[in-house]
Amino acid sequence: MTGEPQGCGAPAGGVAVTENSSGEAIIQGTVSAGGAPVQVGYARLLNDDGEFVAEVPLGSDGGFRFFAAPGTWTVRVLAPGGARADETVSADRGRTSTLAVSVAAPGS
Amino acid sequence: MSRSDVLVDADWVEAHLGDPGVVLVEVDEDTTAYDKGHIANAVKIDWKKDLQDPVRRDFVDKHGFEELLSARGISNDDLVILYGGNNNWFAAYAYWYFRLYGHANVKLLDGGRKKWELDSRDLVTDVVQRPRTSYHAADPDTSIRAFRDEVIAAIGQRNLVDVRSPDEFSGKLLAPAHLPQEQAQRAGHIPTAKNVPWSKAANDDGTFKSDDDLRKLYGDEAGLDFGRDTIAYCRIGERSAHTWFVLHELLDQPKVKNYDGSWTEYGSLVGVPIELGAGR
Repeated sequence: MTGEPQGCGAPAGGVAVTENSSGEAIIQGTVSAGGAPVQVGYARLLNDDGEFVAEVPLGSDGGFRFFAAPGTWTVRVLAPGGARADETVSADRGRTSTLAVSVAAPGS
Repeated sequence: MSRSDVLVDADWVEAHLGDPGVVLVEVDEDTTAYDKGHIANAVKIDWKKDLQDPVRRDFVDKHGFEELLSARGISNDDLVILYGGNNNWFAAYAYWYFRLYGHANVKLLDGGRKKWELDSRDLVTDVVQRPRTSYHAADPDTSIRAFRDEVIAAIGQRNLVDVRSPDEFSGKLLAPAHLPQEQAQRAGHIPTAKNVPWSKAANDDGTFKSDDDLRKLYGDEAGLDFGRDTIAYCRIGERSAHTWFVLHELLDQPKVKNYDGSWTEYGSLVGVPIELGAGR
């Protein structure tokens, strides 16, 4: 990493956890449909007022990760075919909250 | 200007992606999405490698922009359709950048990559090689770009629109929540700025809300004085390029600037005022 500020882009699946992540309030998870990972889709993080905070495209394993702050959050998943799911989760510093989100399988 | 002068939808792109004189460009910070699959015939622009000076924190200069567009095979009279991930933030940034260097005929694909993917439209991995052109850029139009001194002078004088999330605005978070929160700058916002998160201008699928909804959002709800000049900022200028697009291109506000130094610059300045909390 150089002095150039990093942009705000979100890599698919979210930014990897490193040894510097120990104080972060991490919310992560995977999205599946009918037991298979959802590889095309988006996870959005909403705050406790329902306001949008962040979004990442799902990784090839259906995964996502956010670096939040202590509090209650909602993860909203969007997938092709209008599939969507909302999950509420609480986060705290130094803790990783992991979700397994399932959405309706395409065509079901 | 009407919406159709600055936006196209996915059906239009499917019908015209092979037309001569139309160039599709995918823009992102992380271009691995393009490499895995992109809209047929689209070329790519890397926000960092192609649009940022490798040494100073600034844009590539006019000559650099001419070289980039010539190498991508883009001519001065081509219609350039920009799209990308992250709800078109980087595409909106590129749109603003193309305008800054005087490219007349440029539009955004409404909804960008996300809407295209959620619609399950085709993506390809073949990379098109367009023949080189000889692109001529105009001098940068600084009437749409704000610098820090002007931003400090605008406190309490002009509309300042902070388009980050409420949690970044209040100082609870220092960056979007998909990024680690260890950051060098102080937390908070520029005094007198109104917080209108960029996301309020977009639907869940990334498309822009209607002009009526947008006018209500910035006018009635946020209390923006449309008679005054406006400066939009975020953390590094891409999300605020999205809002610049809404105010300047969709709502036809004549004097709107994007402050691309944004919070990573302002929050690192010595001695400037910072406000914490939800704003007034």
